[in-house]
Amino acid sequence: MSEKQEIDPATVAAVDPEALEETAMRAVREATSTEDLDRVRVEYLGRKSQLKLALREVRDRNTGMQLNKFREALEMAISVRQEELRQLELDRRLAEERVDVTIPGTPVRRGHLHLITQIRREFEDIFLGLGYTVVDGREVETTHYNFDALNFPLVHPTRSPLHTLFLDEHTVLRTETSPSQIRTMETQEPPVYIVSPGRCYRRDTPDATHTPIFHQVEGLAVDEGITLADLEGTLDYLLRELFGQERRSQFVTHYFPFTEPSIEALVSCHICDGSGCPVCRHSGWIEVGGAGMVDPNVLEFVGYDAERYTGFAFGWGLERIAVLRHGIPDLRELWRNDPRLLRQF
Amino acid sequence: MRAPLSWLREYVTVDPSAGEIARRLAISALEVERVIDVGVPDVDGNLGRFLVGSVLEARPHANADRLRVCQVDVGEGHPRQIVCGAWNFEAGATVAVALPGALLPVLDQPLREVELRGQQSRGMILAEDEVGLGEDHAGIMVLPRGPEPGTPLHDVLPIHDQVLDVVPTPNRVDLLSMVGLAREVAALLDGDLHPPAPQDPPVVDGEPVVVTVEDPAGCPRYIGRVFRDVKIGPSPQWLRSRLYLAEMRSISNVVDVTNYVMHVWGSPLHAFDRARLAGGRIVVRRARPGEELRTLDGTLRRLETSDLMITDGERSVALAAIMGGEESEVGDETTEILLEAANFEPIGILRSSERLALRTAGSNRWEKGVDPYLAEPAAVLASRMLVDLADAGMTGHVDVHERLPERPVVRLRPERTEHVLGRTLAAEDQRLTLEKLGFEVNQDWTVTVPTWRARDVTREIDLVEEIARPILDAIPHTMPLRRHVRGRLSRDQRLRRLVEDVLVGAGFLEAYTWSLVASDPDPAAVRLPDPMSADQAVLRTTLLPGLVDAARTGLDTGAEDLALFEIARVYLPSGEQLPDERWHLGGILEGGYAETKGVLETLYGALHLDLRVRRGSHRQLHPGKTAETDAGAFGELHPCVLERTWGAFELDLATLFAPVPERIVYEDVITYPAVRQDIAVAVDEDVEVGALVEAAHEAAGPLLREARVFDVYRGEQLDGDRKSVALRLSFQSPERTLTDAEAAELRGAIIALLRARFGGELRA
Ligand SMILES: [Zn+2]
Repeated sequence: MSEKQEIDPATVAAVDPEALEETAMRAVREATSTEDLDRVRVEYLGRKSQLKLALREVRDRNTGMQLNKFREALEMAISVRQEELRQLELDRRLAEERVDVTIPGTPVRRGHLHLITQIRREFEDIFLGLGYTVVDGREVETTHYNFDALNFPLVHPTRSPLHTLFLDEHTVLRTETSPSQIRTMETQEPPVYIVSPGRCYRRDTPDATHTPIFHQVEGLAVDEGITLADLEGTLDYLLRELFGQERRSQFVTHYFPFTEPSIEALVSCHICDGSGCPVCRHSGWIEVGGAGMVDPNVLEFVGYDAERYTGFAFGWGLERIAVLRHGIPDLRELWRNDPRLLRQF
Repeated sequence: MRAPLSWLREYVTVDPSAGEIARRLAISALEVERVIDVGVPDVDGNLGRFLVGSVLEARPHANADRLRVCQVDVGEGHPRQIVCGAWNFEAGATVAVALPGALLPVLDQPLREVELRGQQSRGMILAEDEVGLGEDHAGIMVLPRGPEPGTPLHDVLPIHDQVLDVVPTPNRVDLLSMVGLAREVAALLDGDLHPPAPQDPPVVDGEPVVVTVEDPAGCPRYIGRVFRDVKIGPSPQWLRSRLYLAEMRSISNVVDVTNYVMHVWGSPLHAFDRARLAGGRIVVRRARPGEELRTLDGTLRRLETSDLMITDGERSVALAAIMGGEESEVGDETTEILLEAANFEPIGILRSSERLALRTAGSNRWEKGVDPYLAEPAAVLASRMLVDLADAGMTGHVDVHERLPERPVVRLRPERTEHVLGRTLAAEDQRLTLEKLGFEVNQDWTVTVPTWRARDVTREIDLVEEIARPILDAIPHTMPLRRHVRGRLSRDQRLRRLVEDVLVGAGFLEAYTWSLVASDPDPAAVRLPDPMSADQAVLRTTLLPGLVDAARTGLDTGAEDLALFEIARVYLPSGEQLPDERWHLGGILEGGYAETKGVLETLYGALHLDLRVRRGSHRQLHPGKTAETDAGAFGELHPCVLERTWGAFELDLATLFAPVPERIVYEDVITYPAVRQDIAVAVDEDVEVGALVEAAHEAAGPLLREARVFDVYRGEQLDGDRKSVALRLSFQSPERTLTDAEAAELRGAIIALLRARFGGELRA
């Protein structure tokens, strides 16, 4: 297209600024897309538009001012309309891009800690908060640490190979986490405040409530002035942290070689809240684990002054917590490593 | 053990209900498994519809061969007609009668008046199974003469009862007896205790009883009593019912008496047919080598010289404390018995019964240590019952024992009780608690322990427990007062958690696999001499096989893109008594070498460690795709191990953690920009890219911040066995901006070394 064109003076003279303004403004208002608007811009403000031609030719000052004012007003109107249309078009486009929000996301592989690890950490954290340290015990033990130092009488059934896995006459797979009490006390003076989690072993035929390998957490506090009331207070706190603040605790007599007095901790049934149901065998209470005041024989065994120091200890099964709190129907499930089960927790 | 409440209440008078008794016992004495309701329901006056009746007349039914028409006086003034199918009674018998409307455990609906072949039947004469007192339905219950017609049957037989099912802890063998339980109930619920105290029957036509105990350590006491003119027969209904409720089988009056008295006093007894004993004699000794005995259950037992035997001086007649011999068993023909009320030492009994896998109600008590003083009241009660129930005459007795144990005397400081319990407790209250349990508290607070607790109460702390038991639900809840507090995970424990968290973040599921395995690659791995099963016979030295099994489980469930890890102990043979227990991290993931190494890089990065690897080998890994680090190995799983492509790793955590820096010190990586340069070098195929990176660092020193391989090219433009390795070099100084000239110089040094060491040709 040629840049130069003949200008017809008659046309210029014919421009009626007011009429032109009215037509142009209408065209701006009626533009329905940014493309439309671009055409309007070219038509009324382009190099060959009537306005541009008129401005080029105009001689008298008043008309020039009027034309310039009109140009400015038109440019402003186009710019406003431009913004309006852009917004409209964006809205329209975004509306068309709508997705089905119920479509699943792109999967990201997510890992899970094993339920027993989660419970172990919970135990550890509760007691770290109370100022206890965590001790790693060992799993293969001498009968000295597993039985003798823990005051097991010679006739205690656990000493029998019917109940315990022996490596030789003097070596066993530990039957509870309690040997770590002795190992800890042998290496430090009171005060002692520890928990010690880990695997334990018993010759139990696997069924829904037994596996030959299971996990316990041992707790031990030895200091001046430790009392049975401190034990009950600590376990009451532990039970509520594990099972909920609305739970109640109860302590009943029991027997363990390494504690005297010995107790068993019970928690009010979370299913029936104490009114009785099959889970709690209609008693309203559920046994959680054993505990007691450290037997003076055990303290003397490690060379502590049993007159000056008293202590408490407990050893609770982590699987038991899993069963009670999460309704695991069969302990063997926890060892099956079925990913569908591992992903539940 | 089963304790029928009606029986218990004979020995202790207390008001509280069965539920309250059970609750109190459960808190302070022993485990109460449950309280069982037995017999006929105690609702709407139902018990009142069961009466003692006297049969006035029993005639055959004119229209039914097997029935009889009875006239029974139940105290109503005029007899009731009842049609009955049993024939084991005649007119004059005392029987148990249920009236119409009675609820019976064997019927769905209340008993109704019925007409049976033209004869009205207005009630039912009861058999023991119809009221939950036994299993016999051969005939009706014939009661002893005595109670008047119309007497409530409940006064004569426990037709409604509650039975406590209790499990004492092993130190409380005294609670494996009705008297022991009654004593505990009396102490805990403020009841009156009145254990049975029958008159010992007189000796008639006295004769010597020969009992020789050759092993007094194994048998500290032996009471032998001889009875003649014994009439073996069924036990009376009350005895049958009690044994039934206590879960024991009624056999004959003599055998029932021994079981009953064991249940009452907790000291087991045995009755021998004395005619079968050579010379009517008893000799207690250890078994002879090669000796055998056929026990009551019909099994021939091979004995060992540690087994304690009851013999007649010629041969064994019983496995002491565990089971009698078949030959000397009391039977229908027996007329003369020797009653044994003895005491046996627990450890030997436990060993024998475990070895023979023969556990009986008797051995269960003996192995826990029975009070030798109980033999006497047990012998007296049994003698009384044998005379009363089997019409026998006692013709002699002997009590063989050395010095019986002294009752322990223990000093108690009442303030020590308070110190241990953490609450105040008046000294007088402590005294009262002990006295109710049978302890004698002397003025100077020395405490004499009763014989039945002599084994387990020997120290002050044991007395403290006795005082604490009744008030376990009245102990305040406090927390230890601390002067010294330290609560933090150790470095290794923190790092183990970090490893767990990093792997969980990387999408790994945590597996738990058995530490006992069928076999282990290390032939020296610790082996159980007597495993539970061949599958769990060896303590593992590696986690990988367990994880492979877990991955296979995952595959079977259809899992895809599976990644598993485990942190657990391995048990390395140490040459000492105890193996070296080490924490290992094992992992398995679907993917190849590169994915596996990526996981290791992430893990090492999280620990602020450089992952430095060398070519390695591992029996479960692909021979060409296995790398070693100082802490272990990783690589692609050997294709024979598992279908599809998997990677695996196993690291020793102590080795892994050793170089982890304690703290990270700030390094300025922001102020002065890094200068990046890429180079590509052609080297022989067998040159590992890791060696090139190492050489680059060696050549450029600390100003080379990072050298990263970003491409390896093999192709036509290269000579035969060569590859081109592209490295991105990043030079940076924490002190100044490096000039282009400096960077060029460092780059030059790197290229020079690569050429000199590997014959590397610069391609770009
Ligand atoms: Zn419940």
